[in-house]
Amino acid sequence: MKRFSMLMFMMSTVCGIAFAGLAAAETLELGIPLPLTGAQAKFGEMEMRSYQIAMEEINAKGGIKGKTVSLYFEDGQGKPEISRAIAEKLIDVKKQPIIFGDYSSSCSKAIAAVANERKVPYLVVTGADDAITQQNYEYVFRMNPSNAYYAAGLGSFLSQVVKPTSIAILYESSDFGTSGADEMEKYGEKIGMKVVVKEKYEKGAVDFKPILTKVKAQKPDVIYMVSYVMDASLLMKQIKELRIEAKLFAGGAAGFAIPEFINNAKDAAEFVVTATLWSVQVKYPGAKEFAEKYKAKFGDYPSYHGAEAYSALYIIKDAIERAKSMSPADLQAAMKATKMMTAFGPIQFENKEGYQNQNFMETLVLQVINGKHETIWPESTASAKYVYPIPKWRDRK
Amino acid sequence: MESFLQTLIAGLLLGGLYALIGIGMTLIMGVMKIINLAHGELMMVGMYIAFWMFTLFGIDPYLSVFIASPILFFLGIFIQKFLINPVLKVDSILPENQVILTVGIGMVLANLATIFFKSDYRATPVSYATSAWYLSDYWENAPIDLSLSVPWTVSFVIAVAITIALWFFLSKTDSGKSIRATAQDLDSALLMGVNVKLMRVVTFGLGSALVGAAGCLFIPIYYLFPSMGGQFTLIAFVITILGGLGSTNGAIFGGLILGIFESMTATYVGMGWAPVGRFLIFVAALIFLPGGMASLLKKKRIGK
Amino acid sequence: MKKYLPLIVLAFLAVLPLVGLSSYMLHMVILVIMWSAVGMAWNLLAGYCGQVSFGHAAYFGVGAYTSGILYYQLKLSPWWGIPISIVVVTGFSFLLGLIVLRLRGPFFALATLAMGEMMRVSAENLNWLTGGNIGILIQERTWIDKTYYYYIILAIATATFLVVKYLMQSKIGYYFVAIREDQDAAESLGIDTTWYKTIALCISGALTGIAGAFYTNYMGYIDPHVVFALHDISIVTIMIVMVGGVATLLGPFVGAIIMVFLAELVRSIPGLGVAHQTFFGILLILIIIFLPNGIVGDFQKIKRLFKVGGAYK
Repeated sequence: MKRFSMLMFMMSTVCGIAFAGLAAAETLELGIPLPLTGAQAKFGEMEMRSYQIAMEEINAKGGIKGKTVSLYFEDGQGKPEISRAIAEKLIDVKKQPIIFGDYSSSCSKAIAAVANERKVPYLVVTGADDAITQQNYEYVFRMNPSNAYYAAGLGSFLSQVVKPTSIAILYESSDFGTSGADEMEKYGEKIGMKVVVKEKYEKGAVDFKPILTKVKAQKPDVIYMVSYVMDASLLMKQIKELRIEAKLFAGGAAGFAIPEFINNAKDAAEFVVTATLWSVQVKYPGAKEFAEKYKAKFGDYPSYHGAEAYSALYIIKDAIERAKSMSPADLQAAMKATKMMTAFGPIQFENKEGYQNQNFMETLVLQVINGKHETIWPESTASAKYVYPIPKWRDRK
Repeated sequence: MESFLQTLIAGLLLGGLYALIGIGMTLIMGVMKIINLAHGELMMVGMYIAFWMFTLFGIDPYLSVFIASPILFFLGIFIQKFLINPVLKVDSILPENQVILTVGIGMVLANLATIFFKSDYRATPVSYATSAWYLSDYWENAPIDLSLSVPWTVSFVIAVAITIALWFFLSKTDSGKSIRATAQDLDSALLMGVNVKLMRVVTFGLGSALVGAAGCLFIPIYYLFPSMGGQFTLIAFVITILGGLGSTNGAIFGGLILGIFESMTATYVGMGWAPVGRFLIFVAALIFLPGGMASLLKKKRIGK
Repeated sequence: MKKYLPLIVLAFLAVLPLVGLSSYMLHMVILVIMWSAVGMAWNLLAGYCGQVSFGHAAYFGVGAYTSGILYYQLKLSPWWGIPISIVVVTGFSFLLGLIVLRLRGPFFALATLAMGEMMRVSAENLNWLTGGNIGILIQERTWIDKTYYYYIILAIATATFLVVKYLMQSKIGYYFVAIREDQDAAESLGIDTTWYKTIALCISGALTGIAGAFYTNYMGYIDPHVVFALHDISIVTIMIVMVGGVATLLGPFVGAIIMVFLAELVRSIPGLGVAHQTFFGILLILIIIFLPNGIVGDFQKIKRLFKVGGAYK
């Protein structure tokens, strides 16, 4: 019996703690699932900081509907079943009428399914997998473009400026890498670009030289890489080392668009272009202020992930203020009617091209020029003129 | 031809570094028969030491070998003496219950790194990070162009030097011989008056110091973040089995074979399959060569 | 009392959803039960038969993918995965056993670990079958109400429990323990050790596979990194049993409570932030140092500690 009573005791403690701590009246408590430990923690951290900056700004201006916003972060560890647990907890225990956040596609999928079943609106902030907004989920909204659109800007840059005839695609073995690579392959077929190598690699690999040697032998015009954080800089370092000459080195967002890329790859990063959703130089209102604030506080510029998180809170604020009540159904209607400008860009949730509640936006191309990410495409938002053709490795320095 | 030679070079350099990671584990596994799942995390600690030495004092990561190894040596001794020994002492149904212990230690180390150093990706931007020697620079009309990365080569050479020093220690000094004796036959070693308890502590310290040194050699060519340990623990396992439990010579060959095999798979089969190749030779080694490379080496020497 | 304990636990669990648990709590309890089922399966092979597998993610993942592929390729209900995965995973385990069961001790452990990782990479690369890294998404889960899932996994776990219990009371069970204690001695007594190890592996694998198939149905989404995870599946399984009690019937259940429920609890302690892992890691270290046979296995020790006036020996 003792064993059993101990069990009961444990269970009741667990329940007790979980049920305790309902939100106080005059503050609006919002919980956000994010990966704060584990391999994705870097992005979780960046998003957490960005949410906090947005929270401080909103509170300084009187909060949401007069209530002070208080955010707390739940560590999903990048595991879908924990993310799901967090979503269930927010909906069920905390009675939060709207959910937003998390980083990876797999965690976003887990939350999206729960949110839609329970009819609570969920704003996907960074999960890029196409399928998330292709399932007729009425309650799921996504502010970042789906993976298929990430490289749209880069595609037009390629076809208008570089006009390559062959391309090599290297990508990490994840859903993000795979769909990015598949989209580029499809696009290549469309503009008559031959895919000479299409290879995936295990995230976190140490040595890319074998695969790069193979690429070198094929002499492609463009080398397109969809890589996670630091793989990007290792790839470029080793490309430089092997002196692989291509007309253009292109990255598909993520690892190529963050400041660490330049910090680590140094001169090997020079002239590399990358698709991205956002950059510090975009002319959207508040973008520059946010970027500078982030830099002043944490020492480096944020990537598009930070801008998305920062803007997400404004989208939520906007929806709550427009909604007739705090009920999930009214919030859903308000989310659906969203039409606003954020630091991340214009946000509007549309049903088109097989997507539901999806935000469509123009994607940008950055190039590393003199050790800085400059926006080079589309030319209307460019902060610098692109450098093309790029010098050969041998002639640099 | 160019591809093949370049791949071979890459594989050799990678293998040399792998070997150093593996040696630490092979020593620990050989002497204590425990599966240390915190091995990669110890490497991470070594890398953070090198990173901070570089960032704060501008000490070159290669010099940090002399700082990180002693620190890791004492960390290893601490772990062995106060955490692993108490668990090894008790008689439990499955001796593998130490797994929880090393997983727990790894968790704590990785998490402490996250708390203190944030989960940012770090690298030491040394000036020679992307420099390389090119065949065409020395031989103008070379039919093929090969390159040799400076940091990779330096890391490889230091790894070889450390390995030779270790071999010397194990085969020529008394303590080294005692460690080997403990690894080969615990009971006999006890009978011969070897202080097995002390040897275990020293071995764990030594294994940790070696993987700490490997961390210092890795940071100029790789990068660093708190949860990076796992994949290196796996690599260390593969090398340990490939080389034969407790055999340092075996680990060297195991590392080299693994490096070359992985590189060749990446070039000629596809890099996505490279990890499968890694585990395939791992399992093949387990089945067809249970003594690892060490047993082959031995056979040759004795001439059976 | 001791004899009825499993019954009491079962009865308690059977009425648990009736008290009106929140959906969040129910999710946690479902995870606890699912993990105890996996733990019991692992316990059969490792705890009783002594073959410590580091690769149970292989069976879990194959089970999960059986369910997923039936849906993805053949458009069948993923629930078919539960019966079919028994066949598939048993066959798979048998083949795997031909390779890994020739090895012993740490070699066996590492070989199974390698097998798990190989399965993950294969699932990533066999795009035509598994959908590769994109994973498999079940468009619509069968029920919104979790009670159904709860009773299904409870039934699976109960069945697993009964299989393990009756197996261990039979002759085969004694052979298993004999193999664990001394394989050579068992062999010399005329026990066909390879055959009995294969039986243990196949049953253990199949039971794990069923839990995997359930996971697909319950979560509605799988990808290779999730269901073939080395740390999050294989190692967690080991920890669940080791913490709860190796070679005990209720150990996996207690372990799952700690590894899932307590971990969630520690994770939600306000103010602890990311340090929750350090906290939990230290907890694990303490458990294993003071209770090397797990909580159920060393229950006498705990009892002694708490006994009023009783001297600690």
